[in-house]
Amino acid sequence: MEKVSLFIPCIVDLFLPEIGEATVHLLRRVGVDPLYHEAQTCCGQPAMNAGYREQAKRAAKHFIDLFGDDDVIVSPSGSCVYMVKHHYPQLLRDDPVWLRRAEELSGRIFELSQYIVDILGVEEVGASFEGTVTYHESCHILRGLGVSDQPKRLIRRAEGVEFVPLPLADMCCGFGGEFAETYDYISEEMVKEKVESYLESGADLLVLCEPGCLLNIDGYLSRNHPEKKALHIAAFLAGTGRGG
Amino acid sequence: MSKEKTVGHSARDEILGKLKRIPKGAMLPRPAMPPLREISLDREQMVATFIEKLTREEGVVCRVSDGSEAVARLTEIAAQEDLRKVMVSTDTVIAPLGLPVWGRERGITVLTPGDFSTRDSFRDAVFDEVQAGITGVNYAVAESGTIVIVHDAHQPRLVSLAPILHIALIPTTRIVPTYEQAVEAIYGDTKDIPSHVTFTTGPSMTADIMGKPFKGMHGPRRLMVILIG
Amino acid sequence: MEIRTTLFNEIAGKEIRNTYARAFLKAMPAAIAARREAVMSSFPDPDAAQACGQAIRAEVVARLPELLEQFEQNAVARGAKVLWARDAHEANGIVLAIARERKAPYVTKGKSMVTEEMGLNDVLVEEGIEPFETDLGEFIAQQLKRPPFHIVGPAINIPVEEVCDLFMEKAGMEEPTTDPVELGYAARLFLRNKFHHVALGVTGVNMAVAETGTIVNLENEGNIRFNKSSPRTQVSIMSIEKVVPTMADAMHLTRLLSRNCTGQAISAYVSMDSGPKGGGEIDGPEELFIIIVDNGRSEIYADPTARQALRCIRCGGCLNLCPVYAKIGGYPYGWAYSGPMGQVLTPLLLGLDRAQDLYRACTLCGSCREVCPAGIDHPSLFLYYRAKDVEGDRRLRGKRRPWKEFGFFDLWSRAVAHSTLWNLGVRLVRPFVNRYSRGGVITTMGKYFEGWFRTRNLPAIAEKTFHERWKRLRRDTVSGDPDGRRGEP
Repeated sequence: MEKVSLFIPCIVDLFLPEIGEATVHLLRRVGVDPLYHEAQTCCGQPAMNAGYREQAKRAAKHFIDLFGDDDVIVSPSGSCVYMVKHHYPQLLRDDPVWLRRAEELSGRIFELSQYIVDILGVEEVGASFEGTVTYHESCHILRGLGVSDQPKRLIRRAEGVEFVPLPLADMCCGFGGEFAETYDYISEEMVKEKVESYLESGADLLVLCEPGCLLNIDGYLSRNHPEKKALHIAAFLAGTGRGG
Repeated sequence: MSKEKTVGHSARDEILGKLKRIPKGAMLPRPAMPPLREISLDREQMVATFIEKLTREEGVVCRVSDGSEAVARLTEIAAQEDLRKVMVSTDTVIAPLGLPVWGRERGITVLTPGDFSTRDSFRDAVFDEVQAGITGVNYAVAESGTIVIVHDAHQPRLVSLAPILHIALIPTTRIVPTYEQAVEAIYGDTKDIPSHVTFTTGPSMTADIMGKPFKGMHGPRRLMVILIG
Repeated sequence: MEIRTTLFNEIAGKEIRNTYARAFLKAMPAAIAARREAVMSSFPDPDAAQACGQAIRAEVVARLPELLEQFEQNAVARGAKVLWARDAHEANGIVLAIARERKAPYVTKGKSMVTEEMGLNDVLVEEGIEPFETDLGEFIAQQLKRPPFHIVGPAINIPVEEVCDLFMEKAGMEEPTTDPVELGYAARLFLRNKFHHVALGVTGVNMAVAETGTIVNLENEGNIRFNKSSPRTQVSIMSIEKVVPTMADAMHLTRLLSRNCTGQAISAYVSMDSGPKGGGEIDGPEELFIIIVDNGRSEIYADPTARQALRCIRCGGCLNLCPVYAKIGGYPYGWAYSGPMGQVLTPLLLGLDRAQDLYRACTLCGSCREVCPAGIDHPSLFLYYRAKDVEGDRRLRGKRRPWKEFGFFDLWSRAVAHSTLWNLGVRLVRPFVNRYSRGGVITTMGKYFEGWFRTRNLPAIAEKTFHERWKRLRRDTVSGDPDGRRGEP
């Protein structure tokens, strides 16, 4: 039997655990009962992005040790998957043993929608939503992982959904981790424009695959347009919503 | 032309020395690129593509069958534009047309580079006195409606640059599909490389003021092309 | 040109409130992206065409010294005088010496970023030689004493009224007008007079073709061609990475540069010089000087990670798509190079310590990397600079970070490697954070994260994190198998 293991990012663990729960429910619905290694913590992106490579290496080694035996790792965060696939081998390139383990691991970690559509070969996941839905193309998922088609297929297959395009869908929402705080005056202008696009689309709901983008966009909506919602794709497909 | 040694050996040797000490980096494989679509065009298709592309850049294009019709067309343009004084090249397209005589017959002063004994007097004329520059071209590229001119004693640089109107005469035998054919013909024989070559696609333009594009910044404001044949 | 790279936040804060510039920048990305896509489709395989550009530039960097030697040899064989300069000071000195010797009271200049990097104009002015920028946008920016706003449109943000006042004061324009066409014509007349009598023209170089010893320039206005046609002396200045192997390579890059820059198939003029004018020619330069400038690039070349920065062809494609640039415009980057390519190059030329914000003010979205026809991975370079800064790298002039920040990440990384510490940390931090929570939503945390909370809310830290919920979730296992396997659907 294949060991499918869950990687729940730190943001989801702390702030949005319901996305993790929705991920579990969704995977079980399509016939996968995932493992969860409780010793997991964080992929190390915050340290990596701030230039703390030694510290990010510690996170990488912990991750590789922990997930080393799994056949497949699935995560509801594209930027974490990108970190593991793309940055771990670079971080560990000076140590041949760790490098080999990192390269080997990079072939078996997937973002959630990519896993469901490309690996499981499933698009109909029993989702439903009455209304118009639009989709934000998160940067690391689109340009880092090349994943764009898969989430949209899943959304379109939900019963009752009418998919509408998001203007400037692939324009960065301005999260960028620490960027959102350190360069807040730029970040807030970027998220404001992303929300303007959302409003312009006329959609009832905005769906996305990246927890960081969700914190950013939903954080802005909650303050400025509380009647409009953004939802992670796991919650959307599982039908659980926020606080569900 | 004397071969001049490079000046400043110490700087040169230091810079190159530093660069050479570094191990050569990795190269990427050159991908196979399918040929541009224009390669498979025949002469008439190339002409049509050339006209379409240049017209989109606001070039004004007409077509005539031979040299004498070209001259007739020039006569019309001269009347339309009220041309009194023009500068013409003496390249292989223009020279046979006998434009100085044509001009004399119509009260148009036709100047050629050969009329000037100094570069300053030539420069004064082409900057201040003439209303148009008339030249041939070496190649016309269908890909983008581009004219290619190899400059030399018969084809000075300023004739197609300084006057506000540039009229270019192009035998359709000189049309090629893409830049590569022109470049190969001009630079293929490395023993005989021209000092100055220009690729011109439409009139001069800019959008530097508020992003509003307009034609006619420093170079000609208008480019008229007469296709011959 | 004054270097203001340490004033990033101050300048960006001001520019982001400039509603005029913002309106202009807002229209740009979508318009350019559309044009670029349309014109790239003239290639039967646009991806292959871009990959070919990247391969050409990778080859240039790999073979740089040999290509430079080949270029020099061929240029000299055609009668050009090739001079080398280790740094800006040397390069400026060479230009000055030439200008002095030819007694040029003024020079006309085509757009050249390397001369901005060199600060050439200031040096000429000090010497009493007036440099006239002749690219319309550069002319406006120069007269207004502003840095370039955009790599291709240096003054594209300046309102017409300001241009009108400027031209009436400095360009001999007599009647006021706010029509861009008429303003352009006024500049044409003013600068035409300069071209007419100029003794020395200065240009940059887009590409220096090794195979033939030819310098190639792209432009739309015709001012570079005037600099190559009217004066008796032409000085063309290139930084070392401008060389390309062959004429065919140069034409391919010409296509890519034009498409990425302005969405054109080709710029209105491409001019190619192989040595000075021939014997019988009545115009063109009697002497052609080509100055090859290092100014820190041989050091960059020695760095295996950073050397990809030398691939840049200055097309501006990255600026046109950068979401941060689209909010702040070119000024905050503080020097000759703006947008993502400026963020790549400036820290290497000036030192990481003088460009702290340039490689941090980025979300790593990757739009730049995706569009780059030269194959530069901007985000990975920014991460490299951040790491080198943290490490206090001597060669790159890393500055190190505040000890509190280091302490935080060090402690954090130990918690990451030990989940009991992690979970303990969460339990300690949660009540502190959540005391700001009202109904599960935090709208402020006092003086913490003020930037975030100015316009955004944050969910409270969950009463039960995912870690804490797993036990309950786990018992929900459909198959009843606590170890979790992918079972039958």
